[in-house]
Amino acid sequence: MVRMAALVLGLVLGGGSLAQVLRIGVVGPMAFVQGEHTWYGATLAAEELNRAGGVLVGNQRYRIELVRVDTNEMTSVTDAATAVERAITAQRVDFLIGGFRSEAVLAMTEVAADYKKPFIITGAALDGILAGRVDRNYERFKYLFRVSPTKSSDLARTSLLLLGEVIQAVRRDLRIERPKVAILAERAAWADPLVETASRLIAAPPPQGYGAEVAGTWRPSATATDVTPELTAIQRAGAQVIFTVLSGPVGVPFGRDWGRLKIPAAAVGINVEAQQETWLKATDNLGAYVATLNTLAPAVAITPKTIPFITNFQARFKQFPIYTASGAYGALYILAEALNRAGTTAADAVVRALEATDYTGPAGRIVFDKTHDVTWGPGYTTGLGVQWVEGRMQAFWPRNWRVGDRVVSYAGVRPYQLPPWVVEAWRR
Amino acid sequence: MTSPLRIWSLPWALRYLKHEVLALPGRTAALLFVLFLLLFPLFSQDPYLLRVLTLTALFALYAASWDLLSGYTGQVSLGHAFFFGLAGYASAILGRELGLPPALTIPSGALLATLAGVLVGLPSLRLRGPYLSLVTLAFPIIATGLIFLFPRFTGGELGLSGLPRLGQSRLEEYYLVVGIFLLSVLFLWKLAGSRVGLFFHAIREDEVAVRMVGVNTVRYKLLAFAVSAFFAGLSGGLHAHYLRVAGPDSLSLFNSIQPVIWSVFGGIATIYGPVAGTFLLFPFLEALRVAEELRMLAFALLILLVMRFLPQGVVRGVLERLEEECPRCKVKNAFTRKACRACGVPLHLEAREVKP
Repeated sequence: MVRMAALVLGLVLGGGSLAQVLRIGVVGPMAFVQGEHTWYGATLAAEELNRAGGVLVGNQRYRIELVRVDTNEMTSVTDAATAVERAITAQRVDFLIGGFRSEAVLAMTEVAADYKKPFIITGAALDGILAGRVDRNYERFKYLFRVSPTKSSDLARTSLLLLGEVIQAVRRDLRIERPKVAILAERAAWADPLVETASRLIAAPPPQGYGAEVAGTWRPSATATDVTPELTAIQRAGAQVIFTVLSGPVGVPFGRDWGRLKIPAAAVGINVEAQQETWLKATDNLGAYVATLNTLAPAVAITPKTIPFITNFQARFKQFPIYTASGAYGALYILAEALNRAGTTAADAVVRALEATDYTGPAGRIVFDKTHDVTWGPGYTTGLGVQWVEGRMQAFWPRNWRVGDRVVSYAGVRPYQLPPWVVEAWRR
Repeated sequence: MTSPLRIWSLPWALRYLKHEVLALPGRTAALLFVLFLLLFPLFSQDPYLLRVLTLTALFALYAASWDLLSGYTGQVSLGHAFFFGLAGYASAILGRELGLPPALTIPSGALLATLAGVLVGLPSLRLRGPYLSLVTLAFPIIATGLIFLFPRFTGGELGLSGLPRLGQSRLEEYYLVVGIFLLSVLFLWKLAGSRVGLFFHAIREDEVAVRMVGVNTVRYKLLAFAVSAFFAGLSGGLHAHYLRVAGPDSLSLFNSIQPVIWSVFGGIATIYGPVAGTFLLFPFLEALRVAEELRMLAFALLILLVMRFLPQGVVRGVLERLEEECPRCKVKNAFTRKACRACGVPLHLEAREVKP
């Protein structure tokens, strides 16, 4: 009789407490800043949600429990896939968020699809992670979503808009009607389509193109430690603007050499190294005036949630958040809202609820398209153009960005500034 | 009077088991290992454990293939991932373009790797030692470059995904991979112990001397390249279909160095050494996931310690302590025996003081 009562009590207590926990796996390369910030972003969101009483699913409240999954994906894709299978089967996670290296995310999402576990990607950019999978094989891959970054073709679009902004500044401030643009892109497959599009767009007449001239294309290695030859060639070619397509460590030597040689051409485009808060230190302050696309910038309110997120993040982790942090933070809220709407934790119902997401997070408004990718554009998620001015990162885009009859501006965005040595060299 | 035992009859097998297998710790361990692999799913069908064992078997075959070329023949390959990755890509592309099942595309990929092995072997015939190793190192780098050059065909940095599964469940995949692994390792072991294996050994020790006695070393070196590349390719194809992704990571330097670590850890030029090395190190690295920050550090420390105290590799180091060779008839004996099991000579002769 006593044993029976104990058994019932155990079932009620044990079963009850188990049912009130949602286990969410946060996956990423935890030894690297991208993985670490994924974890930080998710932690911040989980703490906020739990403080507010957890997630209401049906008429039951769930507490969020995060499971840290170090994928080691920078070294081994096999390791990453195994880590996800371990998280699902041994650590019993119900949902997954994170992932950074595209190839590893591909393998990890295969495992998640095998187990029908929703996986919200927060760090990998290549289009092919979702396009060609969710649309072509919906039943298998419907569990995959991406909240950040915007897919690589959209990142390319943003970087070209930033280039347009700088070409405008050259026309306005230097009175050069047909500026010359040099393309400096690292030698990598992902950069090829961007180089091709940029070449076409730069030379095309307005309004489709920029009505400028291509001074030439230079392709250093992504790990080059010196880009002086390329930069001096660009200077000789008479370029006023350098369109950078750099994701690798070459970004740092570029910034250092460009500032040291005072190359009279404004640098804008993609430079992943310049997105980090350590940029000026890494370039001995020579990287000032470099412009790149980014997700967040200090004191720029993309949405009402941006500044509180940055403030809380910095107070808690003493670092400026990178895009995987805002991505993971948003992903957890999106998941919580979807669970709430679905009223159940059953994966298929949660997927349907996720598809109906319309969430405004720190980096923009997130609505999923038909491939479950984050929608890019005015009124959705756009990204930012940032520039290093006066010792800090400052946003310059979108500012009075006209799309159809809309004008997009974020509070805290200042006008783009040409480097003073560029102005001095070209002012007539 | 009893009639002589017929070979392959049950009484013969039992006697063989008793006198030739169970009499030696090394062979007993090998038997237990095979039984463990075949019977493991009876005790646990946890998908994560099955995955770890499946991947370990895959990589153990990969390491054994490296051992045949580099351990036996002395042609140290630092670019073995070339064969591994190439076969994975070939299998993925053949499957996608021709719609063939993995049962056909994986062997085709392995055959292509064999061809690649011969092609890598040809220029390598003029090179020796570190120069050869540097040339082999270049091949996966060239292959990665080609992959990035034709992204539409190879998937570029992302690789190719959505490859068909090896089996319907983790269990099916486990038995398929373990079966192929056991048969392949048996083949490699038999080959290494055969006359051909003897030539491989001899080429490593002194190639000029082997040529002096009239052996065509070029043919044997190319054979070593081809056979090694075939099995590396076989494991590469299985790996791609197991992960369901064939990507540039399969050609990475890390993937080329891994079989070297496993083989040296287990003991080179043995075939079973790399297998044991992989089956010790790969699950060990998995177990270390509980201490994420210390994982790689503890892994490196273990390898350092083993190299310090058992420089000839774990398996050889342990076997040398467990088995003893008879000074007269050279038959191996368990360390517990006092007299040789074949000729009866006392094994532990203590040095006695001889009085004049």
